[in-house]
Amino acid sequence: MSNELPIVAEGLQRHFGSGDDVVKAVDGVDLRIEQGEIFGFLGPNGAGKSTTVRMLTTLLRPTGGVGRVAGFDVVTQANDVRRNIGVALQDAAIDPLMTGTELLRLQAVLYGLPKAQHATKAGELLERVGLTAAGDRRVGTYSGGMRRRLDLALSLIHEPSVLFLDEPTTGLDPMSRISLWEEIRRLNHDGTTVMLTTQYLEEADQLAERIAIIDNGVIVRKGRPAELKAEVGSPTLFVSVDPSAADQAKGLLIEFGDLRPSPEGTLGVGLTDGPGAVSNVVRTLDEAGITVKNLELREPSLDDVFAEATGHRLEGADA
Amino acid sequence: MSTLVHDTPRTNGTGDRLQPSNVAQTWAMSKRSVLALWRQPSLVIPSLIFPLFFAALGTSSFSRATSLDGFPAVDSYLDFALAGAVVQGVLFGSTVGATALATDIENGFFDRLLTSPATRSGIIIGRMAGGMVYGGLQTIFFILVLLPFGLSVKGGVGGVLTMAVGGTILALAIGALMCAMAIKTGSSEAVQGAFPLVFIALFFSSAFFPRETMSGVYATLADINPISHLVEGFRDLTIEGFTVSAAVRAVAIPALLAVLTVTISLRTLKARLGAS
Repeated sequence: MSNELPIVAEGLQRHFGSGDDVVKAVDGVDLRIEQGEIFGFLGPNGAGKSTTVRMLTTLLRPTGGVGRVAGFDVVTQANDVRRNIGVALQDAAIDPLMTGTELLRLQAVLYGLPKAQHATKAGELLERVGLTAAGDRRVGTYSGGMRRRLDLALSLIHEPSVLFLDEPTTGLDPMSRISLWEEIRRLNHDGTTVMLTTQYLEEADQLAERIAIIDNGVIVRKGRPAELKAEVGSPTLFVSVDPSAADQAKGLLIEFGDLRPSPEGTLGVGLTDGPGAVSNVVRTLDEAGITVKNLELREPSLDDVFAEATGHRLEGADA
Repeated sequence: MSTLVHDTPRTNGTGDRLQPSNVAQTWAMSKRSVLALWRQPSLVIPSLIFPLFFAALGTSSFSRATSLDGFPAVDSYLDFALAGAVVQGVLFGSTVGATALATDIENGFFDRLLTSPATRSGIIIGRMAGGMVYGGLQTIFFILVLLPFGLSVKGGVGGVLTMAVGGTILALAIGALMCAMAIKTGSSEAVQGAFPLVFIALFFSSAFFPRETMSGVYATLADINPISHLVEGFRDLTIEGFTVSAAVRAVAIPALLAVLTVTISLRTLKARLGAS
């Protein structure tokens, strides 16, 4: 690998169709991911995350711009890219008829490992992801979490310098998710650059040193999570009131700060004067005869960053 | 999960990763597809039973048809029916590999292969290998099963082996065509749904009756249908003996078809990677 950045995208574009029917799935994405970092790529379903990853992993030809991974162009040097990256795609991509060991050995052949290393390497990776006991079982009998762990192990067989993880924890229970996070941190500690796409804000907050938020095929925010949250500034107060009083409440809340996107059934307001304004909000609503059903004060989160950037909250956000 | 210290990445000493062997990759994927068939006997059993059923039905129903004008001189209809049964069985069986490829696409495993350094042709042929091995074994299986019922193969061992090779290549040819459909649609249901089209091509051929007994549009279609000429190569090996002409027809026709259909598959894959 050259001294270039491990992942670079310049004006990366993928349009489908043409003329009036063109769909701009990815429309000019710029990324510069540093050596040895975990980079979080956030966005709701259909925002362009997976399309970007598919282009960077050579699964889809860009219609514009440039993508370079591990120092190689994703179009003209696709095979060099493939030899240097590990990929765990959105759905754990595993043949259910084969055993974990068989799949790892197949993967070892595909990446050209010497035959003498196949068994050792398969055993090491199964141990690493906690699947030694299940190695000789067909994958069809694995749980969702086990499949994800095996999928990760498969992507590591050739010790890639760059690892793409496309929503690796979607559908996993909390324990499996934390276990996978630990493994991703360990990999990163060993020097692997990780591009992690996710729609879980907590995941990005926990793992990523820098993030980019994509919406409608365009990157709308980019930076370190702490810096992005600081840019949002004030905390958000979510207020639940009777739906019949919602419009009246909005008129009153706007006196305390800007109205912000909020989950259905609630009103969100950014408190310009900080948390101390909560009691005033309650008093004002009470004096207007509006009953407050529930209150929740949140410090700026990545969800707020996302909401501020896009005007809507991230679907499936769990933080 | 336990911690593992990374070994030094596999390189050629200059920092560049080594290029894996294409042959080893294709061989490994071939073994996978054979293993998949072995582990799903329910997928292959119908393609063993139905052709034998048709051969038995034809032999009991059409035994007197052998005296029709234009019918070749045969000891029994069974000798005549063997070629059709073999081709029918191989056509049946060859969809299994393509269906498996479509399933790979559906469950994402195909993408995993595409992000590896495996060659595109290796991925397709590797997936077809199970069907090819099965096509050859089917041919021998049908002959062995029908021998006790009066079948005689005048071409002898050479004829049987030539038919097995032809069956193997035919499985690749039809399987690759079905693969193109799998790649295009990414749907195992679509592949299975298209199978009757292949079957129609079989019926508009000389698989069940000689072309000499046909007339009109049916005869014209059978004349231009490559399956007719393939079947007749197999049939001549059975009822006339081993000749170079019959052997060439039994092997060259499916080989030409395979070149065409594998090319179509690879082009379809290229289009998918560019446009999906």
